[in-house]
Amino acid sequence: MEYQKLKEIEIYPLRDLSYDFLGIHFENPFILAAAPSTDNLDMVRRAFEMGWAGAILKTTSVEGNRVDLAYPMMSTFDHEGRKLFGMGNIDLISERHIDKVEHDVKALKREFPEKMVAASIMAGRKEDWQSLVERLEKAGADLIECSFSCPQGNIGEDPGKMLAQSLTATELTARWVKEATKKIPVSIKITPHVTDIVEVARAVKRSGCDALTASNSIQALMGIDIRSFSPYPSLGGKSTYSGMTGPAIKPITLRTIAEIARNVDIPILGTGGASTWSDAVEFMAVGAGVVEFCTVVMHYGFRVIDDLKSGMSHYLDEMGFPSPAVLVGKALPNIVMHDDLPRKKMRSHINEKLCIGCDLCYVACRDGGHSAIDQQSSRVPHVEWERCVGCGLCQHVCPVENCVEMHIMA
Amino acid sequence: MKKENVGRRPQIPNRKSKIANRQLQIDNHTPLMNSRQAKIESERCLQCFDAPCMTACPTHIDVPKFISMIRTNNVIGAAEVVKVSNALANTCGKICPEEVFCQSVCTRGKQDSPIQIRELHFFATQREVKRGFSATRRFPASDKKIAVIGSGPAGLGCAFELTKLGHQVDVYDAHKPGGVPRKSIPSFRLAGRELESDTKFLSTFFKVKKQVVDSRTFQRIQREHDATFLAVGLGRDRMLGVAGEKLKGVLPVLQFLEKAKIAPSKMKVGKKVVIVGGGNVSLDAAATAKRLGAESVVLIYRRSEKEMRVWKGELAEARRQGVEIRFLINPVSVIGKSKVAGIKCRRTRLSKQKDKTGRLIPVEIKGSDFILDADTVVIAIGQTIEANWLGDLDRKGGGYVKVREDFQTSVPGVFAGGDMIAGEGTIVQSVSQGKYAARAIHEYLSAK
Repeated sequence: MEYQKLKEIEIYPLRDLSYDFLGIHFENPFILAAAPSTDNLDMVRRAFEMGWAGAILKTTSVEGNRVDLAYPMMSTFDHEGRKLFGMGNIDLISERHIDKVEHDVKALKREFPEKMVAASIMAGRKEDWQSLVERLEKAGADLIECSFSCPQGNIGEDPGKMLAQSLTATELTARWVKEATKKIPVSIKITPHVTDIVEVARAVKRSGCDALTASNSIQALMGIDIRSFSPYPSLGGKSTYSGMTGPAIKPITLRTIAEIARNVDIPILGTGGASTWSDAVEFMAVGAGVVEFCTVVMHYGFRVIDDLKSGMSHYLDEMGFPSPAVLVGKALPNIVMHDDLPRKKMRSHINEKLCIGCDLCYVACRDGGHSAIDQQSSRVPHVEWERCVGCGLCQHVCPVENCVEMHIMA
Repeated sequence: MKKENVGRRPQIPNRKSKIANRQLQIDNHTPLMNSRQAKIESERCLQCFDAPCMTACPTHIDVPKFISMIRTNNVIGAAEVVKVSNALANTCGKICPEEVFCQSVCTRGKQDSPIQIRELHFFATQREVKRGFSATRRFPASDKKIAVIGSGPAGLGCAFELTKLGHQVDVYDAHKPGGVPRKSIPSFRLAGRELESDTKFLSTFFKVKKQVVDSRTFQRIQREHDATFLAVGLGRDRMLGVAGEKLKGVLPVLQFLEKAKIAPSKMKVGKKVVIVGGGNVSLDAAATAKRLGAESVVLIYRRSEKEMRVWKGELAEARRQGVEIRFLINPVSVIGKSKVAGIKCRRTRLSKQKDKTGRLIPVEIKGSDFILDADTVVIAIGQTIEANWLGDLDRKGGGYVKVREDFQTSVPGVFAGGDMIAGEGTIVQSVSQGKYAARAIHEYLSAK
């Protein structure tokens, strides 16, 4: 017997991270977004065994709907040595139609009754939307997510345009979907590519749908090969716009979720740029009830769930929070309009003991601020308070943690 | 955040001073990483799947997992991952020879330089020590009683793993828990605190009973338990068997190191110290002698540097401290009247033949004798098992106890691990043997 291959015996108790959201019991706030990782029964099975609380199966459609994929479909935005800071895809919805997904939902619910199994759908005609919903609900799906925001456009008469970019189309289609359900909640997956996200959220609310998934990938051009002038991903020299995901889009998603949560009373499934347990805390703090993950899993695998759960548990313990549910919306009261911001006189303060003398704050302030920092022979820069307006640029270019602080002036 | 890592390794004064013994305490490792350094280093980790570092670690710590946790600022989670696999997490974090285990196979090393895995490990476990140990879960209860004799790394590793499996464990030791790391690893490599934090953590799971074991108690312990795990280590110095070895000033290495660690204030060495032997323990002794203020420390070894079974880092450190290492020299006799005056040596050359360890056999060169002056001679040519109460357990070469693949000795129900089955190894190897022996014991008891 190879004792070395035996699984380790866990010595730490598992903290209970479960709570209810949308009338569904979640064993933790971490679920898999509709993506390649959820397009295969064995993959989802493995993810569930490893501890993911739920999965939204990759967007499916009615039989006969043609899904014409083009390869390669992935590209990345690597930033200063970090791979996959952003990931772009020109993928489409699943090639697996409703008959297969229906089967997967049944199998997963049978094997994992305690997990949240949702399916994502996309259609053109009313009867197609409704038949998808009916079949999935019957198969045992806990939730339906409707993709109104595939970056390559929706099925239907307006190619290249997303359903969620039209208020009337959003409300009408959402209504069809909701009408077709008996009990289970419906969430509409929207795009941040709109003039007013709040109006879209209101349209969904009016339709009677239960929740919003905010938000889909960001339309992006991933880069250009500067010798061949072929954009990425290059398909024989040609390319198209990608949907970008990953850490790079996190701030955009945070704003989208926050803006909806501040204005419309509707539950939100957060997605788009969350990779770690602390990202999840942030998503929840601006109003997400659960958090969907995709890019981090495509990069490192389902195993990231271990740190998501462990990190969240230690964080809740440290903060004395009883459940992840208490995080939802916790930062919202602190998001205000510009006019309502506190206005205090601020000045930069450099901690001489911590300063390592790189003079980056000096050059940033000289060329991008108010020339309020002077160089000194000691290499520890000096802030001239007469000229400093307190913009905070120096604090952010400083490579040393807590070296530059912004002080409120009396 | 403090600028805590700017210091270089301390310089050791090459003179005898009143405060010399204090030198024994000065750490020769680089200081603990600060959180920013740990974050940056953790971000370099590629997060390999089925990572080679994890396989190379004898206790199979999930290295990519704990490093990913440092990366997300879940440092306590990282410490927990380490401790799930390794019962002596702080001790190993401090002195594990990463150059031969995890780091030596790091994939990142093929791109630029390997991840400083041990330092990240130590950063995480020390953070947990500072914060207070994480609460542990309740283990299942079993009605099996197992005795662990010896509380060194193998004994503690086994006892903890057995506890996790729910068994009742009695640990016996004549001394305070810790074994070799407590007694003879010099303070400048391993001070008491890392080991103490580990034994303190473990003491909440089982107690170490003070017990001098002899044949009678060994029999009684076996009778009173469903299985017994032996982890008594070695403990007896091998001597050269040459004339003059009984002279005053000739010291067996364990005696020398134990005294230097446990009673450094009573420790004295001469001006000229000769260390005989070319292993890691010999290097420890040489560095200790230097720190005690010896003017010259010469280490002699009968083969060449290539055959030395030492950690390169420790060899470099000994040299940096001014230890002179001379190769291809065999001691012939110790000379002196009532006290050591020198050591008669003979030069050797390496033959073309290899011994069973795979190393070239040294042959003495006739007429090459010379005398090295010395007032202290430390004999560090290896150790054997000290315990004389093991009865008729089958032995193998070197007198080590023979065990099967499942760590069971020739006596059913009696298992063994650590240095007593394989000779001087590393702490992490012993912890690992204890841990996997516990799994074997569990299997043995479940089948009974």
